[in-house]
Amino acid sequence: MALLEIKNLHVSVGNREILKGISLTLDGGEVHAIMGPNGTGKSTLSNVIAGRDGYDVTQGEVLLDGRDVFAMEADERARAGIFLAFQYPVEIPGVSTSSFLKTALNAKRRAEGKPEIDAMEFLKLVKSRTKALGMADDMIKRALNVGFSGGEKKRAEVLQMSLLEPRVAILDETDSGLDIDALKVVSDGVNALRRADRAFLVITHYQRLLDYIVPDHVHVLVNGRIAASGGKELALELEAEGYAKYQGAAA
Amino acid sequence: MKPAQRISGLMEHPFGADYARGTPAPADRALAAFREQARAVFEPQGLPGPRNESWRFTPLRTLAKVPFIPAAAADDVDVAAVPPQIAELPGAARIVLVNGILRADLSDTLDGVELSTTADRALLGHLASAASAPLAALNASFMSQTLSLRVSTRAAKTIHLISIAAAGSQPAAFHPRLLISVNKGASLTLVETHCGLPGQPTLANPVTEIDLAEGASLKRYVQVTEQPDSFHLAATGIALAARSRFEGFHMGLGGALVRQEVNAVMRGTGAALELNGAYALDGHSHHDFTTSIDHHVPGCASNQVFKGVVDGGSHGVYQGRIHVARDAQKTDARQLHKALFLGRGPQIDCKPELEIYADDVQCAHGAATGEIDANHLFYLAARGIDPATARMLLVEAFLADATGRITDENLRAAFTRDIQGWLSRRSLKAAA
Repeated sequence: MALLEIKNLHVSVGNREILKGISLTLDGGEVHAIMGPNGTGKSTLSNVIAGRDGYDVTQGEVLLDGRDVFAMEADERARAGIFLAFQYPVEIPGVSTSSFLKTALNAKRRAEGKPEIDAMEFLKLVKSRTKALGMADDMIKRALNVGFSGGEKKRAEVLQMSLLEPRVAILDETDSGLDIDALKVVSDGVNALRRADRAFLVITHYQRLLDYIVPDHVHVLVNGRIAASGGKELALELEAEGYAKYQGAAA
Repeated sequence: MKPAQRISGLMEHPFGADYARGTPAPADRALAAFREQARAVFEPQGLPGPRNESWRFTPLRTLAKVPFIPAAAADDVDVAAVPPQIAELPGAARIVLVNGILRADLSDTLDGVELSTTADRALLGHLASAASAPLAALNASFMSQTLSLRVSTRAAKTIHLISIAAAGSQPAAFHPRLLISVNKGASLTLVETHCGLPGQPTLANPVTEIDLAEGASLKRYVQVTEQPDSFHLAATGIALAARSRFEGFHMGLGGALVRQEVNAVMRGTGAALELNGAYALDGHSHHDFTTSIDHHVPGCASNQVFKGVVDGGSHGVYQGRIHVARDAQKTDARQLHKALFLGRGPQIDCKPELEIYADDVQCAHGAATGEIDANHLFYLAARGIDPATARMLLVEAFLADATGRITDENLRAAFTRDIQGWLSRRSLKAAA
């Protein structure tokens, strides 16, 4: 069984149809990249899978391990193994990163019928992960994402991903706002999480990120449809030639 | 000459002649005279009514209809112990009052602090006078015991004053007066818990006068968790001498109608006042925080942060007056009130009032109300956190701006736990 199946997905916002029939199958161990120009539905796809309000699914379905994703609330989807790495991680003043991480981790553990994590064990776990990501120790004492630089925010997203161990990770424009050093650290963090029983959906505007997170499949999303699919060489071709030829075809 | 403008108050109320007869006269004759003077002020003006600007948002009509008797006249009240839900503060010495009367049998002995039931006449009526504040007039008219606390050194132990309201078969009211003097260079941390036992409604009407000498320091953290049908009308007057420090925190988590009024006067250069508060209201709870800071002399600082969350049909009020006299140059005075709506039913009234007569000052005020941010909720949901827990985290975080200003680490944790308790009781109620 496929890990994540998107079947003929149609999504509207208000009266406007944004996604016009998307079908994708992600198997364990795979990295799929979705590339496309701005305003073409890339973020809609990630948001609708993660369960953000404000989108109408008019047709189609998404299955996670065969389970109907749209029958679950956003928090249930997350506990079932869907992880959205935000393009713009939200700053939440007053909530410390550490209490947030602990709450999220325990929510998942409870859903899996495991006991809550012991405080010492939690600190040890977080410390080992922050170290691997080159993050400062005191980062988890700070309010969640508040005053974090662009690079720190994206590292924090990868840290969360590594603690929550999702089945499917969706990276929404993770490269935006990152300089080349931060991009490398974040990509290394993601690559370290690649596993045979986990899939990645990497959404990006530029090919640059895919130099570091090398995809198995590349899909071109234009005007709410997948205009072309191919291997990693498709990304290079897009970088060289742009999206014009697909936009023409879609129109 | 024009006749003095009279604000007509609520004249129909239970605090009339019968009530006065039921209140035992103080043994101290000077105190009895003080009380008579206050009654002469209270009787013609009555309880403050809606036309009194300071009471516009806090109507006392409901309270005025409750047939209160003086708690001293209620002979069917027996409180044998402090309610178990009042948390023990580690290392703190307890002073326990039942219906405003000191209960030595439930209190600890104090070290480095003088406690007396003889009124400190140098302080009584000087910082909260019947003529200037209706609540002080009500208190002074019927007070039966004054409690004086004097601190001459650095008090090693925190004092935890627990005031328990308990009515018998009839609603009962009491009017304690607390007089606190902190001598030159001395310091004290005082926690006050104002609570009640289930039963008939009660009215607690405590008035506190606080005199801080040069370089003195007082931390006073007040928590009001009265019963849902009970009333609490409190007024505090504070005078700060040069270089003295006051840090106040007022928390409101319960009661039908609660007003916590604080008036502070900066009397000596270099004095600093922090006055913060947090409230979380549900049902038909009404909490009013009214503050007035008078900067009389140059070079003092005052800062206020009040934050509240409101749900159900509750009502929160913040009125903050800052007065900077012509000579009070280099004043730094700030206030902020923010409220978070958890539903569509509650109401918030906020009235900042700045009167600045000096020209070289820094003054700022801010007020905002809002709802929980949907982006915050989605972010937490996307990490697997259920909506009820997410709301709790966000509400706690919202209030943490205020609770986080409590400088005593252990007490900050204790107050935070009380808020968490309120939140989890509320979410249990919502789930039921």
